[in-house]
Amino acid sequence: MIEAYLPIFAMIVIAIVLGVLLLTLGRLLGPKRSNSEKMSTYESGIEPVGTAKARISVKYYLVAMFFIIFDIEVIFMYPWAVNLREFGVSGLVSMITFALLLLVGYFYILKKGGLEWN
Amino acid sequence: MNSLAYQIIFYLFAAIIVGSAALVVISKNIIHSAFGLLFTFFGVAAIYVYLNADFIAVTQIVVYVGGILVLLLFGVMLTNKITQADLKTETLNPVPGLLITLSVLAMLLYTFYFRAKWVTVPVDQQLRGTVVEPIGIATMTTYVLPFEIVSIVLMVALLGAAYIARADRKVQTKEGK
Amino acid sequence: MLNDLLLTLPITIATVWVLVLILCEAFVHNANLTRWLTAIGFAGIIASIFLIPSPEGYAYGTMLRTGTFTNFSNFIFAVSGLLVVSISDKYLEEEEINFGEYYIILFISTIGMMLMGSAANLSVIFIGLETMSVALYTLAGMLRKDVRSNEAAMKYFLLGSFATGFFLYGIALIYGATGELALPRIAASLQTNGVSTLFWIGLSLLMIGFLFKVSAVPFHQWTPDVYEGSPTTAAAFMSTGSKAAAFSSLIIVLSNISIALPNNAVLQTAFAYIAVATMAVGNITALTQDNLKRMLAYSSIAHAGYMLVGIAAGSNEGYSGVLYYALIYTLMNVGAFGVIAVLERHRTLTNASDYAGLFKQHPLLAGLMAVFMFSLAGLPPFGGFVGKYKVFAAAVEADLTWLAIVGVLASVVSVYYYLRVVIFMFMRDPEPAPQANANATGSFALVAIAVIVFLMGIFPTEVLKLADNAMKVALK
Repeated sequence: MIEAYLPIFAMIVIAIVLGVLLLTLGRLLGPKRSNSEKMSTYESGIEPVGTAKARISVKYYLVAMFFIIFDIEVIFMYPWAVNLREFGVSGLVSMITFALLLLVGYFYILKKGGLEWN
Repeated sequence: MNSLAYQIIFYLFAAIIVGSAALVVISKNIIHSAFGLLFTFFGVAAIYVYLNADFIAVTQIVVYVGGILVLLLFGVMLTNKITQADLKTETLNPVPGLLITLSVLAMLLYTFYFRAKWVTVPVDQQLRGTVVEPIGIATMTTYVLPFEIVSIVLMVALLGAAYIARADRKVQTKEGK
Repeated sequence: MLNDLLLTLPITIATVWVLVLILCEAFVHNANLTRWLTAIGFAGIIASIFLIPSPEGYAYGTMLRTGTFTNFSNFIFAVSGLLVVSISDKYLEEEEINFGEYYIILFISTIGMMLMGSAANLSVIFIGLETMSVALYTLAGMLRKDVRSNEAAMKYFLLGSFATGFFLYGIALIYGATGELALPRIAASLQTNGVSTLFWIGLSLLMIGFLFKVSAVPFHQWTPDVYEGSPTTAAAFMSTGSKAAAFSSLIIVLSNISIALPNNAVLQTAFAYIAVATMAVGNITALTQDNLKRMLAYSSIAHAGYMLVGIAAGSNEGYSGVLYYALIYTLMNVGAFGVIAVLERHRTLTNASDYAGLFKQHPLLAGLMAVFMFSLAGLPPFGGFVGKYKVFAAAVEADLTWLAIVGVLASVVSVYYYLRVVIFMFMRDPEPAPQANANATGSFALVAIAVIVFLMGIFPTEVLKLADNAMKVALK
């Protein structure tokens, strides 16, 4: 069973090794000629405006929160979907009920303007 | 690979969990704490894999690493000046806290190793391969009621989050809007 | 499946009604309509309990219990919700939080309570607890612009989730020790396989979760801050409904498991000591409180102690006493918080001294408050007296006479701080009078509560019979 995870483990190891290796090589081999232009914040070539520590709207937080909730919903769908055919109609009804309750909540948020962005 | 290699990898993950969890608690920079939590979550997912609980491992990655940790970082980054905040509380009580924690730990370890009569499943009934299917069947048959209620919990979380974090709105009085 | 939905009719009604409430609030967007619909929902639940009482048995496999116990506990939760809704509207308008969400979340919280009160499986208890708690965390933070309310929500959330962690760990260990989650099967497994240390640890962790929810010492520290910071009407709901839910769940767990435990005395002694500590800390700290909301918070700790006396007795009489007590406590505490909500203005006018001369300004309000205070103090002829009598009598019968004596002494102490409010209202000269802020429904609800509290003190037999019956059948 656990042998199936060897590729994942190998990938983790490769990712760590590659990351550490490349950064070390870059530091060792690369030339270091810094000037003020190079040290400034890189913002796609545009001069940075304002400070990075400005307060961001709480709406972003709300979106992340909604993401988690529907994330959990999807997690519950996974074991259901694997057995979809076995459950037949009763499984479908259970899952629709489950999704419907959340959908009503989502609809409520939409109507209340929880996701409006102005 | 032989079982020794698996053991070594297990202890590697265990070390990652303990080390990063310690970082979460000790670090004075809240961003460092949040990233420490990332490694803790990943390590715990690896332990679930060792326990043959692949579905829980996936859930751990998708929900905790992909969702909750992101939310946590959002919270940290959205809050002004929290990165400079001094995280130490005034009432620390290290000695009694440590005493209680260690005694609970000792009690649990003692019970787990010497006094526990864990219920064991006969070998022929043990799950083989993925546990996603048995979990799906259990969710849809025996545990269908708790499963449906989970959506109510999620719904109330949705409503609550929307109420607490939404923009201001005019209050409604008896006379209407 | 359809049969199960009918067997647990109150929960089915509540779940469908939540969808109606949400859709209505989404489309019509009118808090007053939502309030009325919520009240109708609670009334519908109460009506369904009386008109179609569920027969003894199980529903959804062995997930839910049905029958008299469930009917009784569901009735408590619905009454708590209905009363809180009826005292809420004026207060919410005054605090500028008259939003439909308040009622919807309160209603969802009741679903969680009903699940806890009818669970026969630890997983259902846990999810019911979570439904209730998540809703209550939000209710505590309803006053979004008020720092104290935010603090209350944050404290309640952090400590509550910590307690939930204990709860869940306890469930996990019990599962590890018995291999079962359904309470009847856990008992069966204990009888065949014996009770291991692992099970005891799991059970104690589970109990920590419960004791936190009922705010028993030493897990009570959150109570005063949360009750004081929350909107007053939400605090009324937290202190009654959620406490009743935790106690009914606790009774379900203990009544199922205790038959399989060889050494019941350990559990009894533990609960007896916790009850003593809870009564002592609650009552003694309440003595020094000037803020009435804090005073009621400590008093709610003390009342949890009285109810734990019934739990410690561990008999049918004790458990039915707790049920009766939970009902009467719900009534009188919602009443007391209701009067406070009528007079409160943005966190002012909540001190006992603000009530000086209330009798001359608002004789009705002062009279109602006096009834609730007398009943909370446990003075006859009010309902609170009968409740206390019932749990203390059960303790005496269970050879815990010393515990009953401690309880009576604690009640004597409590008379001081309850009567202090009455003395302020009736015997001091009025200061600039607080303006009462009640409407017809709110006042009617308060008067109705006071009448019922009075009636339950004079004619308790019918309700007591119901409570006794609930326990008798449940323990078979």
